[in-house]
Amino acid sequence: MKFHIEEVAVYFPYDHIYPEQYEYMVELKRALDARGHCLLEMPTGTGKTIALLSLITSYALAHPSSPLKLVYCTRTVHEMEKTLAELRVLYSYLPPSSSLLALGLSSRKNLCINPDVLSASSRDSIDSSCRRLTASWVRALAADRPSGAIPTCPFFESYDKASRDAILLPSGVYTLEDLRAFGRDRKWCPYFLARNMIQYANIVVYSYQYLLDPKVANIISKEMQRECVVVFDEAHNIDNVCIEALSVSIRRQTLDGATRNLNRIAQVIDKFKATDAGRLREEYNRLVEGLAQRGNLPMTDTWLANPALPDDILKEAVPGNIRRAEHFLAVLRRLVQYLKGRLQVESVETEVPVAFVASINAQAGIDQKMLKFCYDRLYSLMLTLEITETDEFLHIQTVCDFATLVGTYTRGFSIIIEPFDERMPHIPDPILQLSCHDASLAIKPVFDRFQSVIITSGTLSPIDLYPRLLNFNPVISRSFTMSLTRDCICPMVLTRGSDQLPVSTKFDMRSDPGVVRNYGRLLLEMVAAVPDGIVCFFVSYSYMDGIVNSWNEMGILQDIMQHKLVFIETQDVVETTLALDNYRRACDCGRGAVFFSIARGKVAEGIDFDKHYGRLVIMFGVPFQYTLSRILIARLEYLRDTFQIKEGDFLTFDALRQAAQCVGRVIRSKADYGMMIFADKRYYPVCTIFLTKFCIVLPISNILMKNVPTIISTHQSMSKDIINFDPSMGCLLSFML
Amino acid sequence: MHTINKPTKYRISLKEPGIPGVLRMAEERFIFTPHDPRSLLKLDVPFRSIKVHKFSKDGSKQALLNLLHEGGGYIFEFDSFSDRNICRDFVGKILGKLQATCPSKDDKAVPDKTTPAPGEQLSPMEMEHRIKLLRDDSELQRLHKQFVMTGILTESEFWATRKNLLDDTTIKVSKQRTGFKSTMLADIRPATDGRTNKVTFSLTPEIIHQIFAEKPAVHRAFLDLVPKKMSEKDFWTKYCRAEYLHRTNNSVAAAAEAAEDEELAVFLKHDDILADEIRHKIRRVDPTLDMEADQADDYIHLQDHGLLRDGGKETVDAESELSRRTLSQDLNRHAAVVLEGRAFDVELGDTRTVAEALARSKKGPSLEAFDKNESQERLEKACRMTEIEDLRGPHQLPYAPLFIKDPREYFDSQQANALRALGDSNAGFKNTDYNFNLEESYAYLMKQISEAKVSGLNDIVQSDVAHKENLTTSLV
Repeated sequence: MKFHIEEVAVYFPYDHIYPEQYEYMVELKRALDARGHCLLEMPTGTGKTIALLSLITSYALAHPSSPLKLVYCTRTVHEMEKTLAELRVLYSYLPPSSSLLALGLSSRKNLCINPDVLSASSRDSIDSSCRRLTASWVRALAADRPSGAIPTCPFFESYDKASRDAILLPSGVYTLEDLRAFGRDRKWCPYFLARNMIQYANIVVYSYQYLLDPKVANIISKEMQRECVVVFDEAHNIDNVCIEALSVSIRRQTLDGATRNLNRIAQVIDKFKATDAGRLREEYNRLVEGLAQRGNLPMTDTWLANPALPDDILKEAVPGNIRRAEHFLAVLRRLVQYLKGRLQVESVETEVPVAFVASINAQAGIDQKMLKFCYDRLYSLMLTLEITETDEFLHIQTVCDFATLVGTYTRGFSIIIEPFDERMPHIPDPILQLSCHDASLAIKPVFDRFQSVIITSGTLSPIDLYPRLLNFNPVISRSFTMSLTRDCICPMVLTRGSDQLPVSTKFDMRSDPGVVRNYGRLLLEMVAAVPDGIVCFFVSYSYMDGIVNSWNEMGILQDIMQHKLVFIETQDVVETTLALDNYRRACDCGRGAVFFSIARGKVAEGIDFDKHYGRLVIMFGVPFQYTLSRILIARLEYLRDTFQIKEGDFLTFDALRQAAQCVGRVIRSKADYGMMIFADKRYYPVCTIFLTKFCIVLPISNILMKNVPTIISTHQSMSKDIINFDPSMGCLLSFML
Repeated sequence: MHTINKPTKYRISLKEPGIPGVLRMAEERFIFTPHDPRSLLKLDVPFRSIKVHKFSKDGSKQALLNLLHEGGGYIFEFDSFSDRNICRDFVGKILGKLQATCPSKDDKAVPDKTTPAPGEQLSPMEMEHRIKLLRDDSELQRLHKQFVMTGILTESEFWATRKNLLDDTTIKVSKQRTGFKSTMLADIRPATDGRTNKVTFSLTPEIIHQIFAEKPAVHRAFLDLVPKKMSEKDFWTKYCRAEYLHRTNNSVAAAAEAAEDEELAVFLKHDDILADEIRHKIRRVDPTLDMEADQADDYIHLQDHGLLRDGGKETVDAESELSRRTLSQDLNRHAAVVLEGRAFDVELGDTRTVAEALARSKKGPSLEAFDKNESQERLEKACRMTEIEDLRGPHQLPYAPLFIKDPREYFDSQQANALRALGDSNAGFKNTDYNFNLEESYAYLMKQISEAKVSGLNDIVQSDVAHKENLTTSLV
């Protein structure tokens, strides 16, 4: 249907629209008009994505004079696929005259079509075997030699020839599969085609990292103009992504690798000194004048940008004592040596950057300014020495990356050295982590650069927390509730098992056989009563492993399998993906299945269990973070000092947003229905307030305290109501146009 | 046909010694006369009451012939196998003839007006088919008993109204393969007797079939080793030993055993065929849930960036050569195999044939690279999945017809269960009523009329036929 919001004609690909979708669009339009950032929360199951895409596309069509580009960031590749599928629905509805180019961008692993490269198994080898065929120096060499002497990639060569004449992709929506098919058809490399096309596309869908990680953003997203609308979808974890982007870990292997890299560089320097001393002198002179000029590398050669933010790179000359190549090399050797010494610790050490820099200065004689320039100085050196196999020099890059970050930022970071993993104290595995606590650092350039940034998710409450964590001023900040005409969701809290013993995953209770049995009995009863798919979330892998094994010993698992097939999320992503695929097929064919998953795992993050794929979700326990983690403790301290957020509050907030995220997976539209069971005594009474206030934003007016038999009967009465429901009546706001 | 006389012993049961006498077999009946005239055990039985005959193997201890009737059997012991075989063959001939002609005799007895061919001979295949139909459908069987057995209807009259059931095409359509059971049979548990250190594993053909399907390495090893290198029994003993080691979680002992015995090591090692299969399958999964695509999808993958130990992530154990097969892996694998279902129909008897049939079915086109057709299908499905269904009209989804063996029994038991469950929670059973309002029913009526106008009134039944059909249905 087509309707107007103020002056904008909105193309919406469905005959009906939910009232909250309409409101959402109105708010969004205001934010776009005001050219400001906004924060919108709308529960899952209300069609956020299509409302967003529909409005922004229509807005761009309505204002052809100022071309608006949409950069849509998703957390995962499969979410990207889902978004592109929705875009395709929208595209088929747009007036035929409007040209729209939308595409997804992913790594080589997902886009490459060269069979020789693809035969490599891991992702790293796909990257490097691609580079071996397409790097500029390889191609230059291949051009000199007779053809066939040096292998190149035929797809890249033909793409390179074609790309000289402007835009290559006709308008349309391209998923990764479409790009690959298009590439196979034309014999063009889809990866470089996509990289090139993002500057012409109206809509680009890619991963958070491509915009948030300064190292990557400065390469991939460099050419994006200011007139962009940036959308972060499912952004409830955006603070964690920001923090990850600016954190570095150094292990013993890293330092060993870095030493090897330095030896190699030293050899190359010696060779140059003998043959081409002028080149090194030239570089020295350049450095005297100013910062290393960032040469424009061809797209095929990769060198990540400075890990710190562009504003922080001072426009001043590189310090004198690292201008000479051999001096700089000596500095790096001392740095690596110093870090090696620091790794030999007996107990955990925590330090702030200032103290750490002071200690480097005292012991290795490297001051803060030298540290700050490490990364760029290394880049300049590599360029001078014509070393382009950059993937072999990742270790020394990591060390320089660390040095630059530690030299640039004085607050918002801490350095934590651990001699071993706390959960496996018998295996020595020292690690030095530079951990970022301030989420606003990484996202700041995005807010500064782009006209509108939209942060949206089903779970953003408390909504006033996000502007503080990310340090920005939204023009619009709103939270929508879901209008429901029937109880299509039935959340329940289970505090006691069928034998009236309390159930919980509290540390002192979780291994209690009574609790394990009660959880098992609960699942068994539900499996016998609920049709199609059931999803269970556990608090951690180790807990799930333990409980599933106990169920197996007790025979409960066998009883469950009498009713439904069982699938489990494992640490192996490939296996989990296949398990999910099979789970869906089991639900499709009517056999029914149970999926065991982890509350903070990959499945909980982005896989939908809508419709018959999830008629019931059970959350076993409260998914608190591992509170003994040093990094978490440091972060909590930072939050307390900076934002006056109490540790306990943050932990509860975090656990409940995870729980909400998990159970919210079962509902995607209002025709859908599902039950949710929170099985832990701690959900009541304290957390019920949280749940109703800011958790799912679902109508938990009737959170019920239940034991197993009542849950079963509730299920029966609920499904009876649902079956009598007529979807075309009542709940929809219909526009007669 | 001639008659035969043979000396034999009649044994009331296998445990008792036989009564010596003479067995006389004629076309219609057989008569046993004991040597001892005082004995009351004189038999005079018509062959029509005999259903099946059984006999002991040539060369076994006794030459026995067992003629089975409704309530039991008549066991005869012969002095020699040659005597027995003459009788056996004779009985076989007569029984075969009787079975073939039995219904036609009935036909003759009650002349049928509707089918003018009086000598309608039913082939044994057709007969078998009818018996199968009766066996599968309890309702039909009840009716058959009620009408045919009591003589109200003849056999052919009974089937005349059910011609459609007898059509060969329906047999083929309704043929539905039975799948695997959901229970994990391959997870065999050892039984101990509590006194000795002996552990017993029991394997059935069903279990073996599942093991082959779930563990391709075991399957391959079986095809390679049995019977060339070891007997089947040795093979399974070895397998159970490996399972036991795996179960006890004693990795040191397992490693030691595996080092000594390379055949045993096959069972403990990582399954390479499975790993291969996984690599093929991962390319075909639905892209909207392909988490593998997602792994390290940042621009270039740096191993040491980000937080490693923030408590959210969990460390992965180092992998060893004898990688630990976890319960979760077993569960996932089992469920996947169950979903794939049986690829072939082989009577589960001989392990060797099962193994070979499985190997054949695997060689089929299943591992072919997936074609365009499939990707198209996936695309359509993805489109359907993304649509918000209640904002749009309904779709007609393709479905596979479900064949329920005995619908009446199935639904009756379902309803009974539901009632029982409802009775527990003290709630009544409420019928859903479909109330159409005036407008809707009018629209429906108009639609029907216009449809009839378009398609004509071809399929309207003639009144006399309708009358008959009505009659037969009311009879049923």
